[in-house]
Amino acid sequence: MNDMTRLNISLNGEAIETDAATLQTLLLARGYQLQGAFACAINNSFVPRPQWPERALQSGDRIDIVTPITGG
Amino acid sequence: MDTTTASSSPIAHGNPWTVAGVTLSSRFFLGTSHYPSPQVLSDAVRASGTEVLTVGLRRLQPESGGGNSFWQRVQAMGCRILPNTAGCHSAEEAITLAQMAREIFGTPWIKLEVIGDDYTLQPDTVATLEAATTLAKEGFAVFAYTTDDLVMAQRLHAAGCAAVMPWAAPIGTGRGPLNPYALETMRRRLPDAVLVVDAGLGRPSHAAQVMELGFDAVLLNTAVAQAGDPVRMARAFADGVAAGRAAYESTPMPERAAAQASTPTVGVPFWHSS
Repeated sequence: MNDMTRLNISLNGEAIETDAATLQTLLLARGYQLQGAFACAINNSFVPRPQWPERALQSGDRIDIVTPITGG
Repeated sequence: MDTTTASSSPIAHGNPWTVAGVTLSSRFFLGTSHYPSPQVLSDAVRASGTEVLTVGLRRLQPESGGGNSFWQRVQAMGCRILPNTAGCHSAEEAITLAQMAREIFGTPWIKLEVIGDDYTLQPDTVATLEAATTLAKEGFAVFAYTTDDLVMAQRLHAAGCAAVMPWAAPIGTGRGPLNPYALETMRRRLPDAVLVVDAGLGRPSHAAQVMELGFDAVLLNTAVAQAGDPVRMARAFADGVAAGRAAYESTPMPERAAAQASTPTVGVPFWHSS
């Protein structure tokens, strides 16, 4: 593992380290099933699903992943 | 999801109506939170005859992988989905969450909710207007949750909202219309807007009251979900909504200051002129 490639990011409010270079790689590494009912945002900006494979991550990124819940 | 057909219901809804280009029979939107169990939710939805359900979005933890039993259950109900931006405190957050909702649910419908005060859950109407303006330009059908402020409702309508949704009372209080005058005035001043009373209704009579004023629909959640018998209460609200709408379309009689006998006075027995 090359420490230079490790990124410090926030995933759903939790500080983590990752060597994932892209959003999709991160999702897979964290156990998300890509066909699931969820959507992603980085630094409060929506990232459409087709962009997941190419969207590069940077240290300091804040990633939010949301899914349907009950609501009024 | 946007092409789903409405669930069948024995409830007499009255005349169809249109919002965001979609024709509906029911004028009763129902939330999906706080039910005693998933089965009670399903049964209440069926009893309500609703065609529109509101849902929320929250962070998905990795251990769940991406499966979502709640969402699968809701999909099976066959209703149109109105996702909300509940929990957002800024226009930026609400816009981002709306974009995420559009991808997940495949619908441009969004219940825009930007909270300004955490104690009363009163909406931040300034931020709501900012977000609504942006989202309408992006092609969203914005259902804007707001207060009973007339001018803000006018601004939201002018911004292109599909529906303006004033509160009757703060969310979850069940107090009913606190300011019927403001609601009645809003209806009169915005005759062409789709107006939906959202939040604060506690009893079917509250729903009937605002429907009698000419509101196009009501949206509620807690009053059904937290009732002792949510399924019966869902039906009761459906009846209240239908009764109120029928009364509005039937033009209620004007109020009078003085009594007027219902039974004809001509030929009254035992009556003498002296």
